Amino acid sequence: MNEGPLGWAKFYRKGVGYFAFAMHRLSGLVIVFYLYLHLFVLSHLLSGAATYNSLVTSITYGPYDSFLVLDVLLALVIFYHGANGTRLALNEMGIGLKNHKVMFYFFESIAVVILGVFLYYAYMFIGAA
Amino acid sequence: MTEAEMKYNSRRRVTGSVSRMFQAASGLFLIFFVGVHLYVAHIDFGHPIQFFNQVIQNMHNPWWLAFFIVFVWVISYHAVNGLGGILKDLNMSQKAKGYLNYALVALYFVTVVYGTILAVLVARIAVPA
Amino acid sequence: MEEMVFEIKRTDENGNMKTQSYNVPKDKVSTVLEALLYIKENLDHSLSFRYSCRMEICGSCAMEINGKPHMACSTTTDSLKGQKVTVAPLKHFKVIRDLAVDIDGFLEKYRAVKPYVIRDDDGKYDSEILQTPEQFHEYLDYSLCIKCGICMAACPIEGSDPNYLGPAPLAAAWRYIADNRDQGKKYRLEIVSGEEGTSRCHFAGECTEACPKGVDPSFAIQKLRSSMVGLEFQRLFRRR
Repeated sequence: MNEGPLGWAKFYRKGVGYFAFAMHRLSGLVIVFYLYLHLFVLSHLLSGAATYNSLVTSITYGPYDSFLVLDVLLALVIFYHGANGTRLALNEMGIGLKNHKVMFYFFESIAVVILGVFLYYAYMFIGAA
Repeated sequence: MTEAEMKYNSRRRVTGSVSRMFQAASGLFLIFFVGVHLYVAHIDFGHPIQFFNQVIQNMHNPWWLAFFIVFVWVISYHAVNGLGGILKDLNMSQKAKGYLNYALVALYFVTVVYGTILAVLVARIAVPA
Repeated sequence: MEEMVFEIKRTDENGNMKTQSYNVPKDKVSTVLEALLYIKENLDHSLSFRYSCRMEICGSCAMEINGKPHMACSTTTDSLKGQKVTVAPLKHFKVIRDLAVDIDGFLEKYRAVKPYVIRDDDGKYDSEILQTPEQFHEYLDYSLCIKCGICMAACPIEGSDPNYLGPAPLAAAWRYIADNRDQGKKYRLEIVSGEEGTSRCHFAGECTEACPKGVDPSFAIQKLRSSMVGLEFQRLFRRR
């Protein structure tokens, strides 16, 4: 009778709104997790330059540079959440309610383009050092 | 009032649309905050990269300090409210929802206080030579 | 003769579930409801399901057909891909037996939103209340609801929390609030904007996708929210 939260993830063969809803939840949870991880990493600033720099260098240039893959995924998730969130916020104010599916594709396309540009410059930035 | 109306009537909390509106508004603010933050931290953050020094120097600027403190306040609100929105969709008793509300408010304050103290402490570290 | 296989998820009076298959000749039936009736008449008299009008008006025969909620009467066998059809009771409802589900909880939620015109003058008005065609079309679509419960089965939030009012009751609330003769918005605020109300909708929009009558509950819920914001602010700052 009761599907439970697993039902949220069953977007197969459903409308695009359902996919947007399921992914918005998932990406939101990922970002909340990252928010606290970020605060944890930033707390190392208080331990001085050596500790903080070695931590950040290890996850940017090695030995743990495979974290960069997760960073790219995180950027994807943030851009997705932002684009879909913009659509939801506009719908909340009554803008584009009848065209919310078109708006989903529109905002997601913009987000993908900005994500590409961002990743390119971020990569150049790391490589420049 | 009929029995059905009694069951679904909530005298305590009739702020459903207002809280959704705040969530949407804070989300739109965060697009700006996250955009600036990603640009500053991943694209234009000093060349060559000086992780620790650059962060400390940045935080010595009172405008950046204020930016990050407001950022922490808004993103924590958005995160905690969003997390609560997901948790309340689980099948919980009224009592459990009451406890959940307290827990979320506590989580919000802990995050905000920790984030603010961290930002202020980092801003007080002397700039390394 | 070409046959279709109907795999039906059955539940007996003790709550035991099993899946049973029936072969139905394709040229004898044209809709899923007719196939069920064929099975009941010719193959298995014990099969239970609810139906009445056979023309998508009564809202009785909603069920899961190939994993999605549909009206059995308006789902033609031609529209189904493949020779195998799975039929299950409507999701998010308590099963009474086989394909018949208990809709009492749903109707109780429906009643909770006061689905009738509320007047401040208690109906003691002297002249006719006029309505322009534009005002009529404001709510017409939402009055087409047949209370079949398909949107409730499609809603992901309804699936995880049965206390959420759900798409159909909230669309009904909007049907009356959008009606220019109705003055009951302030009386519906506590139910519609309460903890089990519109704030629980996250705009997955599956209710609108699934509705057989073209009602747009997700649109109605968004409109309810934006129309309730002002009243909620007034409540927040009003002294008690």
